[in-house]
Amino acid sequence: MIFIVPIIFMIIGSLKPDDLVLAEMGTVRAFIPDSISLENYGDVYRRVAFGRFMLNSLFITGTICALGLCVNSIAAYSFARLSWAGRNIMLLAVLAMMVLPIESIAVPLFFLVTKWGWRDTYLVQIIPFIANAFSIYLFYTYFISMPRELEDASRIDGAGPFRIFLQIIVPNAKPVFASVAILTFLTQWGAYIWPLMVTSGEDVRPLPLAIASFYTLPPLKWGDIMAFGVMMIAPILLVFLIFQQWFVRGVASAGVKG
Amino acid sequence: MNRTGTVPFRGCKVRRILLTLVIILVLSACERQEQSGAEDNAVVINAWFHSGREGERRVIINQVEQFNSIQHAIHVKLTILPEGSYNSQVQAAALAGDLPDILEFDGPYLYNYIWQGHLIPLDKYVSRNLRADLLPTILEQGTFEGHLYSIGTFDSGLGLYASRSDLEKAMLRIPNGPGDAWSVEEFDKVLASLAKNDPDGAVLDLKVNYRGEWYTYAFSPIIQSAGADLIDRKDYQASSGFLNSPSAIYAFQQVQSWFKHGYVEANVDDSAFILGRTALSWVGHWEYPRYVESLGDNLVVLPLPDFGYGARSGQGSWNWGITKNSRHPEQAYQFLEFILQPDQVLAMASANGAVPARRSVVIRSPLYKAGGPLELFSNQLLSGFTVPRPRTPGYPVISSVFQKAFDNIRNGSDVKDSLDKAALEIDQDIKDNNGYLMID
Amino acid sequence: MNTGRQHERLAAWFMVIPALAGLAVFVALPLFVALGFSFTNMRMGSPLPLVFKGLEQYGRILADEAFQRAFINNTIFALVVVPLQTSLALFLALLLNQKLKGSAFFRTLFFMPVVFPMSLVSVVWALIYIPDPAGLMNTFLYGLSFGSWQARDFLHDPLLALPAIILLSIWQGCGFQMVIILAGLQAVPEQLYEAASIDGAGRGQQFLNVTLPQIRNTLIFVALITTVLSFRLFDQVQILTRGGPGNATTTVMYEMVQTVFERQQIGRASAITVVFFLIVLLITLAQNRLVKQKREIK
Repeated sequence: MIFIVPIIFMIIGSLKPDDLVLAEMGTVRAFIPDSISLENYGDVYRRVAFGRFMLNSLFITGTICALGLCVNSIAAYSFARLSWAGRNIMLLAVLAMMVLPIESIAVPLFFLVTKWGWRDTYLVQIIPFIANAFSIYLFYTYFISMPRELEDASRIDGAGPFRIFLQIIVPNAKPVFASVAILTFLTQWGAYIWPLMVTSGEDVRPLPLAIASFYTLPPLKWGDIMAFGVMMIAPILLVFLIFQQWFVRGVASAGVKG
Repeated sequence: MNRTGTVPFRGCKVRRILLTLVIILVLSACERQEQSGAEDNAVVINAWFHSGREGERRVIINQVEQFNSIQHAIHVKLTILPEGSYNSQVQAAALAGDLPDILEFDGPYLYNYIWQGHLIPLDKYVSRNLRADLLPTILEQGTFEGHLYSIGTFDSGLGLYASRSDLEKAMLRIPNGPGDAWSVEEFDKVLASLAKNDPDGAVLDLKVNYRGEWYTYAFSPIIQSAGADLIDRKDYQASSGFLNSPSAIYAFQQVQSWFKHGYVEANVDDSAFILGRTALSWVGHWEYPRYVESLGDNLVVLPLPDFGYGARSGQGSWNWGITKNSRHPEQAYQFLEFILQPDQVLAMASANGAVPARRSVVIRSPLYKAGGPLELFSNQLLSGFTVPRPRTPGYPVISSVFQKAFDNIRNGSDVKDSLDKAALEIDQDIKDNNGYLMID
Repeated sequence: MNTGRQHERLAAWFMVIPALAGLAVFVALPLFVALGFSFTNMRMGSPLPLVFKGLEQYGRILADEAFQRAFINNTIFALVVVPLQTSLALFLALLLNQKLKGSAFFRTLFFMPVVFPMSLVSVVWALIYIPDPAGLMNTFLYGLSFGSWQARDFLHDPLLALPAIILLSIWQGCGFQMVIILAGLQAVPEQLYEAASIDGAGRGQQFLNVTLPQIRNTLIFVALITTVLSFRLFDQVQILTRGGPGNATTTVMYEMVQTVFERQQIGRASAITVVFFLIVLLITLAQNRLVKQKREIK
């Protein structure tokens, strides 16, 4: 029950006139409204560039996911299957960085990207997050546990590492790709502190920042805020409901391997 | 064959995704450049404005459009930044070397920006006529070390809005000007008698739902009205002995008692006053349009209570400066001159309810002229009832420290302890910065 | 053959270089930069010359009441959230693992908050926590206590603010853990339970002797992630309480961002960065030892 109440509360709140959200909060009317309207949704569109924020968020998150999957999986393959000088030391370094949250280096990184003139761009919200030690680690543990025989046949055929990776590994490692994609998506979709530091205008700001500043933008209208919340979450929730099995299996496989 | 046949397709797919991404990136970059829409040989002037209220935003956007259409030599490109982290954005942009040509900022930050070397003096641009027409408080705020660095198109007013009928029902005296303010003891009784008629006893809206600079703007006049200050104004080198002087501590103990008695509304919906949940609202000029709309004739505007040395109020607001970054300071000033034209000043002041920055406009303003409903605010500014926030490069730290101290006091921490700590922290910061002396 | 090996080595390098370069520039480099700055008086925008300050910044933050409080708050948060959230998640996962009717529905339900960005969760809960007696949380507690609850301003109450933050964090984070644990539970071989029940083990004993040891690894993984997350605590605090009242909810991350954003003190913020890094590293090492012990037992 406790899990669902805040969600229903948000949805119903978004359908009610602003002052009634507060006034009827303690009553049963908070959950069973006597009248509903979509006016708050119109207000959100009128008051802020909602579409822009949504596009920004989708673009930033999507790009990080796509590029991150490529870069990290291929690196992990090299760590797991190929031998080269310095591999073990590098692997150790990557593992050390694994638990390090991006926030912990936000200050110096902020200083650097500002010096480089990257502030207030898509770039600054994407590039630093493509290479990810945790993703490499997840791929690495999965690849390491795959039977070598899979590759041997094509190795004898004379296929190079890139071809083996694309032909053999990728098709056989779909679960780990799914779980890394989902984990990356969930983390980046909620990104707040970093965009807060490096963006100023509305042009490139993502949704989590937009809701936070909408919350402080006068006039304060709770109905509008709740509508913003619903609009922000609805597409993701929908995707989540449709691909639920994948989602759950993907997230879960990360944990079991870990 | 079949096996290898699927591979190029896969590669293709990845490549296609990458290609699409690159195209989107390029397109979005193009879009940002095209947005300016300037004519080829026009000088582009970048301007930053704070997000403020909807009315203000409309006026400034309109002003920029007007300016761009009446002449073609200069094209102003406006960026609106969220207010909450405005100073941080300025600092970051300065570090990156991409400050705009002309920059709006909250008044007391001026001295810090000058100290950091971001702004140029405007003396040689400002005409004698304009200078003579500007409110003294605007000049006071914009001047540092003998030069004028910034000009605002409006000044601010701070007071107590009240519902006349509530005051009359409780049979309370209604002050009729800044010299006639309630004393703090009287104010205590006012709160107590209003609370008797109020269902939940919360009768005072201090806008505690606001954040940041509001605390310093709204509540540092209390210290000054008690005869103390945030900092020693002689040379701005010490806060200890001022911010934590006995009279300041006493004044804030009074304020804390308002919270302890439950007089202060949390105002989570920012509508406590207009929905009639409180009889009093301690806030600036910007709420006047909304308040008068719902209370009509029943609205009265009163001075803040007197803590012993006469009522004091805040002054200063957002104003404009030209950055060292600008390669076209003259053109930037032309835009500033445009929005300082009497009609433009009036347009902005009518939209946000602020005090117009020019004497000639104050007279024309239906709100602020003699007998107007907000005469109190112009009166406060013109007859010395307001105190500027400390004019020192150390201001941002002073303000941030004070905000925290006030927050603690609000939430019940020991007043003396909070103010002692705040004063020490300010002193330490001044020391760390070699006294914030100007560096040539 | 030789050229083939060389070719492979080259390919191997090509494969890791994008990722390693990214990590070097965006993780390792900033760390070194932070270390360097932390010994100076560096300030953003200051016209004063850069001065070497040795360990002074470290001395100051360690002596700073707000920083100490931030560290304590993070620790309290971790000590409360990790066990509470993990056991709640375990409990829910066990329930769902009974394969009763509607368990898919409930799984969806519990997992739903996970897709909510923390900023949205904070804003929705801000409304739930409003101090009005008619506020949702106040009404709920009023009903729960049969009318003896007095309306409180949760987010401005020195005693309740941190618990309020903790509660919404658990609400958001629990579903994620639950799914992972559920997967761990489903991977436990059925035969083990059968064997245990032949041995006459009751439900409780089965749980202690079969389930727990089997999912120990999963639980450690989950606890590790949650512990590290506890030290990253920021979004909720920034949006809801700004560290207040009186430092009651400030966190290491919040202090760091305040220092650089409000005060432009890069030197000091860098020192916090380094300390934060060490904290996270220590936690991970400690947790690693736990995992190793388990392997030895095995």
